[in-house]
Amino acid sequence: MSVTSPTPGAPMLSAALRLIGWGGLGLIVVAVSLSDFLAHAPAGAAGVGPVLSAPSEAFPFGTDLLGRDLLSETLHGLSVTAGHALLAAAVAIVVGGLFGAVAARLPRALSLTLRGAMGVLAAIPALLLAILVIGLSARLYAPLAAGLAAAPLAFVRGYDRVAAQSSSTHAEYARATGIAASTLLRRDLTYEFRDTLATVAARALAAVTIILSTVSFLGFGATPPSRDLGLMIAAAKANYLHAWWTAAFPALALVVLILCARLAAALGEGERP
Amino acid sequence: MLKFAALQAGRLALGLLGATLLAAVISAIAAPRAPGLASFLGAAGLRLWAFVQFDFGKSAISGLMAADELGRRLPETMALVLAGGGLALMVGAPLGILFGASPVRRTAAPLMQIVTAAPVFCAGLALAYGAAHLLHWTVSINAPVAASAPIFSGETQFLELSALPVLTVGLAGAAAVQLALRRGAVENAGEAYRTGLKRMGLSALEIEWVYAVPKVIAGLLARAGDIMLALLSAAVVAEWVFHRAGAADLFVKSVALEDWNMTALILFIFAGLTFATDCAGRIGAYALANEGEE
Repeated sequence: MSVTSPTPGAPMLSAALRLIGWGGLGLIVVAVSLSDFLAHAPAGAAGVGPVLSAPSEAFPFGTDLLGRDLLSETLHGLSVTAGHALLAAAVAIVVGGLFGAVAARLPRALSLTLRGAMGVLAAIPALLLAILVIGLSARLYAPLAAGLAAAPLAFVRGYDRVAAQSSSTHAEYARATGIAASTLLRRDLTYEFRDTLATVAARALAAVTIILSTVSFLGFGATPPSRDLGLMIAAAKANYLHAWWTAAFPALALVVLILCARLAAALGEGERP
Repeated sequence: MLKFAALQAGRLALGLLGATLLAAVISAIAAPRAPGLASFLGAAGLRLWAFVQFDFGKSAISGLMAADELGRRLPETMALVLAGGGLALMVGAPLGILFGASPVRRTAAPLMQIVTAAPVFCAGLALAYGAAHLLHWTVSINAPVAASAPIFSGETQFLELSALPVLTVGLAGAAAVQLALRRGAVENAGEAYRTGLKRMGLSALEIEWVYAVPKVIAGLLARAGDIMLALLSAAVVAEWVFHRAGAADLFVKSVALEDWNMTALILFIFAGLTFATDCAGRIGAYALANEGEE
């Protein structure tokens, strides 16, 4: 057995997994869009069933300590998490990816200063950055904070990709023929985003979903009555050792959302989103 | 080699300077000042000067010097990160080597994708559930019983209480370790030296052991910064989930209670740890990859 053998058939497997990921994300969008219709009870409705009832025909996901239907709550929680994650991903893409790509083409001194500053932020766990931004603003801005926390890494990746293109053959020819730097930047951004936008978006979605759910779990995210999956799991912490379903189903929904985003982004096993 | 080490030392110095500037800006939020940007920048400048003199201010929560307070909490986090890092190497290295072999990887890939999609707090809660129900361990999920239990202690209950946070951090680190090893392996798969060595009569095992393995380990070392970042992130969550009174737990409480001096100092230490690990890893990787060439 070689430690260095490449994976034959990897492109086909990767394409299939990406398709599964996008398909899963599509299904989640449908479920989230229809969450008010699919849920048996409105968000936060207490006393719908008996307290801490195990999964049954009437309550497929069981009920929690306040007698809330966990199937309905999980759907509503997924809706809140996915909505916030989409907003946060957009922030990460614009502030991180797009700004990083533009920064790579700025005058050298400014470009390197920005790269260095973002490198410092990227050396701090994104979770801590998100907590810091929420602490400096308000819990209301948790999606913005998650997006900003994921941005430094996206910036560094975008910067490095475009910086590599700056020394490519097409860039040298363009400069030699007198094409303006702004035109070259526009060209690179167009191609860069056309080819990688879907992957970058899925990657950002996976990253911010993890950050958002974790800050909520730690008490810095969503506030009741609006509950996301992280907050649901945090609330279930007190009972889940004897009522596993209170944490298991929200956690399962969260893992499925992150898994689909990871597969859509074609991330390797264990790769940081 | 010396030139490369000097370059990395320069990068480390710049990184630490940036982290100090960031910490000074955060710390300035707590400084008494007049409203306005100019006043804030002045306060940040004063905090930066104080930082250079190793004066990190006082904790707004305890009233103690921030450095002293952190000094009491940091060993807990470092023990967690070190023990988790050791576990990450023990679990991640065999996994990385195993997954380098394509049939095994293809079989295990879906399971690994699911496992690595779980956020650290979900993994921690799942481990606690398993330990409580299958092993009948005492778990510190809902009570701060572990706050006074040192990680490296001989007593059974303390070991049980320490095992779960270490496992949580270790498994998060293992994912990063196996990925770094696998990437190192893939980068070396197409290297031209393999054909040359085969023509020289070396067996596949000799090529792997003498030439490929050091380069794969170099790949792992080159990503040491990423692994440290994964361990630190996991430590934050593990300390919160399992009620460990470490620096990461202190950070969460400091932000919640707006103790900006403490927040700034912890961020500086964490960024410094990542930069230092990254620097040491890159130098080690360079030395290993270029062994015998200088």
